[in-house]
Formats: sequence, structure tokens, C-alpha cells
Amino acid sequence: MANTETALKDAMTSIEGVIGVALVDYTSGMALGTLGGGKELDLNVAAAGNTDVVRAKVRTMELLGLKDEIEDILITLGTQYHLIRLLRGRGKNGLFLYLALDKSRANLAMARHQLRAIEADLEV
Amino acid sequence: MTAQVPSMLVRLAERRATGALLRDTGVLYLADGAVVHAESPAAPGIDVLLTAGGRLRPELWREAVDEAGAACRIAGYLLDHRRMSGGELEIRHLSALYDAAYFALAPDGGPSRFRHGAVHWFGRVRPVGVADVVRETRRRRRYLDDLWPHSHLDAAPPVRVRAAPLPPVTRRQQDVLDLADGRRTPGQIATRLGRPAFHTLVDIRRLAAAGHLETGVRTSDRSTATAPGTRTATAASAGSGPAATTSATARTAPGASLAPVLPPDLTGGAPDVAVLLRVRDALEARL
Repeated sequence: MANTETALKDAMTSIEGVIGVALVDYTSGMALGTLGGGKELDLNVAAAGNTDVVRAKVRTMELLGLKDEIEDILITLGTQYHLIRLLRGRGKNGLFLYLALDKSRANLAMARHQLRAIEADLEV
Repeated sequence: MTAQVPSMLVRLAERRATGALLRDTGVLYLADGAVVHAESPAAPGIDVLLTAGGRLRPELWREAVDEAGAACRIAGYLLDHRRMSGGELEIRHLSALYDAAYFALAPDGGPSRFRHGAVHWFGRVRPVGVADVVRETRRRRRYLDDLWPHSHLDAAPPVRVRAAPLPPVTRRQQDVLDLADGRRTPGQIATRLGRPAFHTLVDIRRLAAAGHLETGVRTSDRSTATAPGTRTATAASAGSGPAATTSATARTAPGASLAPVLPPDLTGGAPDVAVLLRVRDALEARL
């Protein structure tokens, strides 16, 4: 029964190599909450920009006629991973968790697993 | 007055004021200088957003209002009685708060008054800083204008364009199109769908950019220009007599904010960067 702040704190502390995390509403592009990021990564800007990524993918799937749902999207940079996890379930439709990871310190499989657990924590 | 609203808010925040900032377009509730709630006649209320889609049964909502409304702690009641988790309540409440704040802080929202001591009946969930609300409201306004720069679409009842062929729409956009009967305002459509009004405005701007909804710019020949974006492109690139006529029509159309961007002299040599950017945006919106 975590509130959003606790869920973001969990992500920040439990996932190795996290640079920043945000909970984002992808229709409006608004970050409902952010943690970390700092000077190097403006999470509000990242939140708004990444809604276009999600939208483009959702749109492509509709055009392809794929009757499936996006679980997560991984973007690999030279030094960072950006992980977008779309949330499901009551009251969370249209939201995603956005996670920026330091590539040299992060364990991608672990991060995905923990992000799933944090999503479950946001559940009733 | 309009430019003073954010500075007035900042002063209230500095004084850690508690009360309600009242404007024609909505109300912002402050507690100890932070924003705790917002309401607007143009946006569905928290009751609509919470009961939308049967998430919270209307009778349970009424029970919470009856039991805790007078004490101004409905949010606390919903949590205490496990009607909703803390996370979900926060998300829905923040969504309602920012949604109404967008209208309450509108540049043309008229004069503001502050009623000291006023408290909202919903009760405190997660207060947000005045600076965050002002920044997000501005970002939303910019976001809509980037999609399709016609702000009169925020209030006017959307009108469908029934011309073929038009690009496919998403399910959520189809819901909006289905309710666009030329009478319902965007706020009424949002209430019917149980969605935040801003989300509906995003869909409306995208639909207008793609040619599914009228933008309010009259055209004599819809068969060659189904989308307003196409019209802009024609006017900018052709630079001939008929194109100039189109721009003149646009300028006289009520509420059309297209006019100032079109160069008065279309035969001029240098490309108008603003128009080119807009053409690009319109093309991208149609993707």
C-alpha cells in the first residue's frame, strides 16, 4: 500500500545504479512525482519527452494490428539505460514509471524485476 | 491582472497563506502556502474522476461525503475505510488538481481574489508547491500549442469533419470523436468520459491537427485541403493569388489564431521559419 513517494523512494534505494526515477502520466506528459535526476538529468523534461516515445510505440502497434500491451521499453545509451515501464491496473492506466540507470553500475535484469515489484506495491 | 496571478500566488506561498484563490475560470485552494486542491467549471471534479468507470461506486462516494464532508476530510475517510489505496488516491487527486489548475490559472481567467481561511471539503492528500503548479500549467499550455496552436479549441464545442479519407485514430480519440456533436464542450465530453479535461484537450488538438475536427478556419475547398495543416502548407508554399485569399479568410475567421503567423506578403523571398515549423508539426501530428 505504498503511496507514490514511497514507491519512488523504493526505486531509488533498492535498484542498483539509479540516476533518477519518475512517475509519469503519458497523456499530459506530466510527472506526478520525481526523485533523483539532479543537474545532469531534468526528470520533468525527460517525462514529457518520453511520452512521445510511448505514444509512438502504442500507435505503431495499433497500425500493425497487434493486440498486445507494452510491458516495458528499454533505451540503451552509451553510458545509461532508460527504462520505461507502463503501469496496469486500477487507477494506473495511462501512467508509466521512468527509470534512468548508470550503465556501468546497473544490473538490467534485476532492475526490471524490481521495477515490477515497485509497480505491484503501488497496487491496492 | 493575468500576469500578476503567478506573482500573487508566490506571495501567498511566501506568507504560508491558507485559503482559496478565486477566479472566473476556477479556484485554487492553498494550505500553509502549498496548493492542496483545485476546481474549475471546465474540468470534471474529483467526484467524477474517482467514480469514473465504476472505480468507486457512487454510493460509497456519497457515504464518504455524508460522513466526512462536513469535517473536510473525505480523503482521509476513503483511506481509513480502505476504499482506495494511498497511491491510487494520490494519483487521481493530483491528476484532478493539475487538471483544474490549468483552467484556474488561465491567462484570460479574469481578476483574482483570495478568501483567507477557506478550506476544501475533500481534505488534504499531497500538497504541491505553488512553483510546481505554475510551471506545469505553463508547460501544458505550451504542449497544447505545440500540438496545434488554436487555443479557442479549449472551450468551443468540437465539430467533426466528415471527409474521407482521414488518418486512423486511437481508441481514446475515437471516444472523444463519438461525443463531438457540435454542442458538447470539451469539459462536458471529459465529464462524460470520466477523464481529466486536459487529456480531452490534448485529444481535441491532435484530432483537429489531423483534420478530424474543425479548427474554425473556414475554407471553400475541403476536397483539396482536408486538414487545416494542409491549408497552411498550401498558403505558405504557393505564394500565389488563391493562397493569399486563403490567408485572408483565415485572418477574418472568428477566433482563428492562425493569422498572425502567416506573413503578410506571401511573395517575399525568405522562408518563414515559424510557418515551416508549424507545417512540420502539423505533418508530424498526422503521422
